[in-house]
Amino acid sequence: MIEVEQLRKEFRRVVAVRDVSFTAADGAITGLLGANGAGKTTTLRMIGGVLKPQAGQIRIDDLAPVEHPRAAQSKLGALLDHIGLYPRLTARENLTYFGRLRNILAVARLHERVEEVLSLLGLESMADTPASGFSQGERMKVALGRAIIHSPANLILDEPTNGLDVPTVRSPRSLLKSMRRHGTCIVFSSHVLEEVHTLSDHVVVIAKGSVVAQGTSQALCEKTNSATLEEAFVRLTTCEGAGGC
Amino acid sequence: MLTHAVVITGKELIDAIRDVRPLVSSAFYCLMGPGIVFMVSMAMNGRGQDRAGGSVLIGMISVFILVSAFLGGMNVAMDALAGERERKSLLPLLMNGVAPRDVVLGKWLAVTCFSTAGLTINLTAFLFVLSRAHVPIRSAIAGSAPMLAAGLIPLALLAAAAELGISTACRSVKEAHTYLSMLVFLPMGTGMLLVFFPSVTHGWWRLVPIIGQQWQLEHWVRGDLSASQAAILGLVTAVLTGLILWGTASLLGRDDVVYGRY
Repeated sequence: MIEVEQLRKEFRRVVAVRDVSFTAADGAITGLLGANGAGKTTTLRMIGGVLKPQAGQIRIDDLAPVEHPRAAQSKLGALLDHIGLYPRLTARENLTYFGRLRNILAVARLHERVEEVLSLLGLESMADTPASGFSQGERMKVALGRAIIHSPANLILDEPTNGLDVPTVRSPRSLLKSMRRHGTCIVFSSHVLEEVHTLSDHVVVIAKGSVVAQGTSQALCEKTNSATLEEAFVRLTTCEGAGGC
Repeated sequence: MLTHAVVITGKELIDAIRDVRPLVSSAFYCLMGPGIVFMVSMAMNGRGQDRAGGSVLIGMISVFILVSAFLGGMNVAMDALAGERERKSLLPLLMNGVAPRDVVLGKWLAVTCFSTAGLTINLTAFLFVLSRAHVPIRSAIAGSAPMLAAGLIPLALLAAAAELGISTACRSVKEAHTYLSMLVFLPMGTGMLLVFFPSVTHGWWRLVPIIGQQWQLEHWVRGDLSASQAAILGLVTAVLTGLILWGTASLLGRDDVVYGRY
């Protein structure tokens, strides 16, 4: 479970996150929905323990990443906007490297897990190809594999399907659904409304660094008297919808 | 955790060995000095045995050896951290439960392997050249090699740390290449200065890294190396290396280094 309370983060004079609070339950997918620059990525980076908030609390399975970043990170898998791979290493070697860093040190166990992840993401045919020749979709899949190599109880993803074509998007989406069934707490950000609507059990709408509404897609539509999530999103996040700025 | 550092070192070594062209280029640079000294000594046709000619050759040798400590690991250092930042793989590394200290330690060990290898190639080639060229050396140099190593190996460690520190502060490999190329002028310039103005190496200056190693190298070739000076210099260089590594690990805790400038 990931709990976030009144997070705030400023970069010099720019307030990137003003007031973000939500709880992401185990066995559920929580979607952070917001326009570009709304504060979704900064929120996820703070949850990931690589950016310190100026105020607020984060707990990942009762561990605070601010005080115990390594311990909290051990409970977390993360795929943020930086998806760089090592181009001279193959897909298998990239995954093996991160498996070792995740303390899967027994050779047989590591080998087994790497093969399992390659299979889950449909990467078997290119497992021994250097990553330098990978397409955007293949790089994204390996990066996702890297995030789940240690079977984390919590997973955060920043726009995981950004720039991917329809056939490529299906594999990570089905993986997320499968992980949800196995009890993983998943938080992902997106500005693709259809994706958030399809995948999310709980939607958190962020605008200008603050949470403006949260609930199921249906609850958000009802709250704003909207027929679609898109309409609800516009009403919640724009001056027009919010009744003026 | 030391395990993380060892895992990172192993990956960096494999990664660097697969990138053959920079390695070959570094090896050529390390062999360039012995080649030049050999040709100069041949061109001097025996005048290297003169006091003046011999001093010039010894000065050249010491400068090339100092520079080789910086050349061996330069390309690996560039890729190890500036490369991580450029290809956006640094953040995933730091999000995988690896402490910045372990990232720096692991990468430094890998860079050290290459800077020490560069130094070893260079010294081996110089020993070969010295055995054939007309340079006034004492027969005692082979015996004092461990003392020399006590001073020079820490210099290779320092070079690796300095290169990694600069690489961490750079956002791209190209930027790192610019600054690391400038760094090589430090041993080169210091070495040249001391060749022409040897009186600078008086007193405590001999315990300053690079200056001390230059002095040490000249005295090694002349066969009168001091064990205590070598030991203290090695210690001072190691302490400075530790401070640079600590500073580099601190850099990795900064938002602008991990994510770029806002």
